[in-house]
Formats: sequence, C-alpha cells, structure tokens
Amino acid sequence: MPTVAAAVKWVDRRPEVDPLTGAVTTDARTSGMSEADRAAVEWALRLGERWSWETLVVTAGPPIAESVLRDSLAAGVDRAVRVDCRADLPSPRVAAALAPALSAVDVVVCGDWSLDRGSGSVPAFLAADLGAAQALGVVAIEPAGPAIVDAERRLDGGRRERLRVTAPAVISVEGASARLRRASLSGVRAAQRAPLTTMAGPENGDHGGGALRRGPLRPRPKVLPPPDPSLPPRDRILALTGSLVERTPPQRWALEPSQAAERIIDQLRAWGVGAQ
Amino acid sequence: MSALSQVGFEDRMATVEFRVAPDAHIVVDGDQCRGCTTRECVTACPAHLFVPTADGGILFNYEECFECGTCYMVCNRAGAISWRYPEGGCGVVFRRG
Amino acid sequence: MSPQTFDAVVVGAGPAGSAAALEIARAGRSVALIERGPFPGAKNMFGGVVYGRILDTLVPGWWEQAPVQRWVTRRATMVMTPTQALTIDYRTDSWSRPPYNGATVYRADFDPWLAGLAQDAGAELICSTTVTGLIREASGRVRGVRTDRPDGEITAQVVLACDGVNSFLAKEAGLYPHADPGHFTLGVKEVLALPREEIDTRFGLSGLEGADFEIMGCTGDIPGGGFLYTNLDTLSVGVVLRLTGLTKSGRRPEEVIAGMKSHPVIAPLVAGAELKEYSGHLIPEGGYDAMPQLSGDGILVAGDAAALTLAAGIWLEGVNFAIGSGAAAGATAADALAKGDTGPAALSAYRRRLEGNFVLADHRKLRRAPDFILSERVQHRYPAMVCGLVEDLYTVTNPQPKPGGLRAARRQMRKAGVTLWDLARDGWTAWRTFG
Repeated sequence: MPTVAAAVKWVDRRPEVDPLTGAVTTDARTSGMSEADRAAVEWALRLGERWSWETLVVTAGPPIAESVLRDSLAAGVDRAVRVDCRADLPSPRVAAALAPALSAVDVVVCGDWSLDRGSGSVPAFLAADLGAAQALGVVAIEPAGPAIVDAERRLDGGRRERLRVTAPAVISVEGASARLRRASLSGVRAAQRAPLTTMAGPENGDHGGGALRRGPLRPRPKVLPPPDPSLPPRDRILALTGSLVERTPPQRWALEPSQAAERIIDQLRAWGVGAQ
Repeated sequence: MSALSQVGFEDRMATVEFRVAPDAHIVVDGDQCRGCTTRECVTACPAHLFVPTADGGILFNYEECFECGTCYMVCNRAGAISWRYPEGGCGVVFRRG
Repeated sequence: MSPQTFDAVVVGAGPAGSAAALEIARAGRSVALIERGPFPGAKNMFGGVVYGRILDTLVPGWWEQAPVQRWVTRRATMVMTPTQALTIDYRTDSWSRPPYNGATVYRADFDPWLAGLAQDAGAELICSTTVTGLIREASGRVRGVRTDRPDGEITAQVVLACDGVNSFLAKEAGLYPHADPGHFTLGVKEVLALPREEIDTRFGLSGLEGADFEIMGCTGDIPGGGFLYTNLDTLSVGVVLRLTGLTKSGRRPEEVIAGMKSHPVIAPLVAGAELKEYSGHLIPEGGYDAMPQLSGDGILVAGDAAALTLAAGIWLEGVNFAIGSGAAAGATAADALAKGDTGPAALSAYRRRLEGNFVLADHRKLRRAPDFILSERVQHRYPAMVCGLVEDLYTVTNPQPKPGGLRAARRQMRKAGVTLWDLARDGWTAWRTFG
C-alpha cells in the first residue's frame, strides 16, 4: 500500500532564554510538536483518508522524542518510526537521518520550520535526498488525483502560487494551514501502549559530532578596517562615519516572479555574492 | 524597591505559557455587566482579563487565564460569567507552580 | 464505540488524585487517572512547602526520590505594620536530616513525581483530557465520567473527584450545594530568581537548607497573609487574599505583592531578583464547617475539591491533606470494590477514615481558625498593638523613666483600638482554637 508520512520534530515550544548570556534552557515537559508539525500530521491523515493510504509518522531524535510519535498515533496515524540521534543535529544531517526511514514513502508532509531557530531547510534537503518533488511553505493542500496534489503557497504582495506536485513529493506546511484533530480517548490509550519502530541514526554511535556550534547565536561581526592613519583627522572621521560618500539609492522593481528571481541573482552577482 | 525592578503587567504575564484553546472557556453576558457598578472581576482577576469599556460593558480575554475561578466566584450577578475548564491540554501551563 | 471501562476513575492528577490512584492500583484494581493539563502539575500552584510525614507510610524513604528544592530548617512568623515588623525566628538542625519536616518544591516537579508512582503501581494516566461531567444512572448513582475527547466516556464502579478547588464534579453530584466566596482566598505568587549563593547569604542557609517566612499584616486592608519561601535558586513570594476583602479594597493582587515586597524587612531579601513566573490559584479556606459532603452514591471527593486545606495562622498546609484524603479515598474505594459495593453506605467509610486520622481531626480542632485569623482585629489591630508594644519596650527614653510594660500595653491598646474585652474574648477563642 502506498504511504503518506509526516516528518515531525520534538522541540521545546517555550524555551527559556537568558537575556544576558543567550543561554537556552529547555524542558521536556513543555516539549512536543510545533503547530506546523501538528498541521503536517493532520494533512498526512487527511491525504491518507482521501487516498486510502497507510499513514506513517517519523521523527529523528533521542528516546524522549517518542512523545510526538505517540501524540500522532493517538490522532490516528498507523505507524511510527524514530530515528535515533541527537536532538540538535544541523538541518542537512536531520534530513539525512530521516531519509532512510522515508525511502519507501510516496508523500512526506513536514512543518514549514521548527521552533528552535529553524530555517525551514530540512524539507528541502529531504526532497533532495529522496529525489522527490517539493512544495514548501504551503498554506493549503488539495488532492488533484491519485498521488497528485495541488499545493498553495503564499507569495509577496498577497499573491498565491499553486503548485501541482506528483508523488514522490515533500510538502512543508504552515502551522495555520490545519488544526490537528483531537485524539479520541481510545486512541490516546492505544497510543500509550503502541509499539514504535526505532532505527539507528545515520552514523551509528556518532551522534552528530562537532558539526553544530554550541551556545548562543552570535552573528558574525562585520569587520570595518581602520581609516588610513596618514589622512587628516577630518577625513578619518568622514571615513569612519561614511558621510559624504556616493551611494546607489535603493531600487524598486515590479516584476513577475521568474524575472524577479533573475534580477535578484544578477544583483547578487554584481555585488560579488556567491562568486562566479 | 527601585522603579527599574518593577515588572510591567505584560512582562509579568509573559513569564507563563498559555496554550490557547480554539474556544473561549469564559463567556461574559455583557447585558448583565452594563448594570453592574461594583465590577469585582476587574480588580480581583490576577491575570487582569476583565477590562471595563467606555459604554459600560466588560471586555474580557480568555487567552491568558490562570483558570483559578476567582472571576465567577466574586461576580455578584448570577450567570453574568460562565466559566468552565478549557479543552484538555490547552490553557495555562505552569513550569514551576 | 463502547465506553472505556475501569474499576475506578480518578479525576485530577494532583496530590489527592495521584495518592488515590496509587492506593487503588496497589490494591490490584484498574484505575484511570485523568488530568486536564498536558502533564500533572501544569495547572497547579501553591505557596511552596510540602510536609512529608503523610508520605512516610505511602512512599517509605520518599525523601530520597522526591523532587525537593530545599529542606526547611528555618521557620519565621512575622507580624508587621507598614513600617514595623516583629519576627519569631526558629531554626533547627533536626529538620535538615531524615525524616525531615517541610520541603519547598515546585508543583510542576512534585505532582508528576507522585503521578509517576501511581503509574508505576499500575494506574493509567491520561493527560490533556478535561472531564466535562458525570455519567449517572436514573437513580442518581454515579457511573463514570464524560471527557472532552471523541468517544470520551469512561465508566467505573466509583469516581474519585480530585478535581481541585472549583470541583465541578462535586457540585454536579450535589455534594457542594453552595460555594460561598467568603470561604475562598486567592493565592498569588511570584517566583523570583537569585543566584543560589546569594539566597544562602541573605537567609543564612547552606547546602539544601531552606527558609519559610509566613507573614501577617502585609496585605493592607485585605484579610490575608503573605509568604516567602526559598527554593534552590529562586524565592517564592506571594500573598493569600480573602476574596471578599480583595474586591472591596479595589487593589489588584499583584499590587498587594508589590506592597509586601517593598516593606523594609522584605525588600532587601528580594532585591534585584528577576521574575521567573507569576501565578494564581484559589484556596478553599472555609475549614471544617464549609466542607462539601465527602461521599455520595458511587463518588468520593478529596483534596481541594473537598476543601481540605488548613490556613490557620502558623499552619499553612494543603498538599499533605490532599495526599492524606486522597489516600483514604483510594483505600475506601479499593475496599468497596473488593466487597462489590460502591453505594453510599459503603463509601461513607471514607469520612470515618478521615475522622480517625489527622485530616479531619486537624480540621475539626481548628474549625474556628479561619474566621479568627481573618478577623479585623487579628489582621490589623493586634499586629499594630504588638509591634507598638515591642517598640515602646525597646525604645530607650532617657532621661524620661521607662514606661513599664503595663503602661505601654495600655497605651498601645488604646492606639490600636483594642479593648480588654476584645483581648479576653479573642484570647478565649485562640485558646479554644489552638489550645
């Protein structure tokens, strides 16, 4: 039977951040799925019902992350898999950890981005790893036929983009796109006892190594070279403050999305971003 | 105590997590409140959820409720405040308590 | 879908509910423990001290596993006016070792621990589920509960309503006909963070030693009291306010806390601390004479739902009564299930059980305490009189001769508006209440 899966993350929904040091304190009791991940589970359930497909929920994380699997099972998901790994792997490695568990899956639904400084890149990496089509940051999903969905994306200026994607596909959804159904009492009870499948992480034993920077987020400082010391004081002050320097004024363009993308790329090249 | 150490009410409430339920668990009958002069709920609610409006009614929020029950207990008009527990898993979550 | 069936269903996984579920599970019965919060304790707050003697029999060696912040080794009772304070400050080493006396805890730690014990004993904990009402037979007999989940009915031989101070279940069962706001107080609390070493220095503590300050006369014209407890790296600071006085005063609860925190005695203790959590909860302080019926046909009521808290001046207790009553309700339910009769006669054994132990004995003994403690004289006049008297005695008035104790007392009584008759009457009440 074909399968639709939800890939979800166990994350503290309300971590405490020390305003002075930036140190983050998380708590298992307030951890669970983000609204976006809950929406992903709901969409997986809806597609599974519509197509009479099997539903699956997958997470990558430590044993305590199993609570999100049980929450999903309670809501009606058929099967649950946890890929054993550290909770704070960087995005490409999360996707790489999830991919083996999702290799036989036809449609994967994810939350658009995770709450812990997420950038929304796991679904994109996952689509690349699985060789699947992608529709990211979706606000609505409409099945258009067997294994085909129309996904609606939000664009700038209140516009919408409608993508038709065919399985295999990875779709990431916004939190407001759906509300996870309330689990029945029997569902909750069954989920507490349901067996879960555990898969070994990407590199067995190595739980992620030193790839991730620990500690608070510190944006890289912009290095400003000191002005030429041989200049007179007035010129040095001008150089430091950037006064009286010719600048290109901001420009505004009204273009179709594809042309806009090219224009942005041209401009970035002109600035020397991403070289060649 | 210095003015610096005083915490604003919004910051005070921001120390607590509220998982907002889809439905309001507090319902206020505005017609009854218009005739009320004592307005017990306005001062007694520890989360300051009840605010008098210019037209004599009561504006209420349910989102940041401690679920203590003070409002309906102090209300002197039977039935003006209907109060129940929010949906399971929703509402206030104390981390310390 | 058919309803879920258990021998017993316990509503609310607070201290009462978890103790009840623990007893029923230990008796080998199937029991569901329903909690509306995402985890036990999520909806609960209290001042901060648990007295663990009741746990000795229930969980032998509990102090080795309970999630405790600090062990109370210093207890102070403070009587204050806006500018004065008189403190009785007691400390003992004997409370710093097993079996201990009081412990400061966070409810979000303590309640899950106790519920976990019930789970380990075989109780089925179901969280994030609100009980919306009772399932009753035509005769009125309680047969189970409805929850807010789809297919959410649970049937059981006996329902234990441990659903807290607002107990909608006890009210629905007709056991709690009227809840008089005069019998309730509002507790509001701030958890304030300070470095652990700073707390040790300010309160003269070391290791896991903790301090417990209970304060009278800090709530202005509102009958009530205040408290200050030390956790590991936070302080729990709050006030308890009689609802009727609070609404009359026109002051907001957080303003009353701010007022107490700015008192010259309290301010240096809390200076520079950062607010970590603000919380509020109702307390049933009516005492023995304001309790609901404790049992009915197929239903038992325990903990705050049964108004079992003691707020009697130097005794501020609740969790121990919740555990005590919950355990007694659980044991009664287990006995009744074993005999196959959970009717009103069988369940009335619960009250006798409570009468026989500290739960109702303490409440009966201290039945006059709530009104006495919250009376105008005890709240305002006596603190002013006592503080004034001590000030007179401690003030060196040379070259005037010393006033003499009796003269000073008369002067302060006059100032505070206390008559000899008041003293005699309240002395007699105090003797009968606490003697």
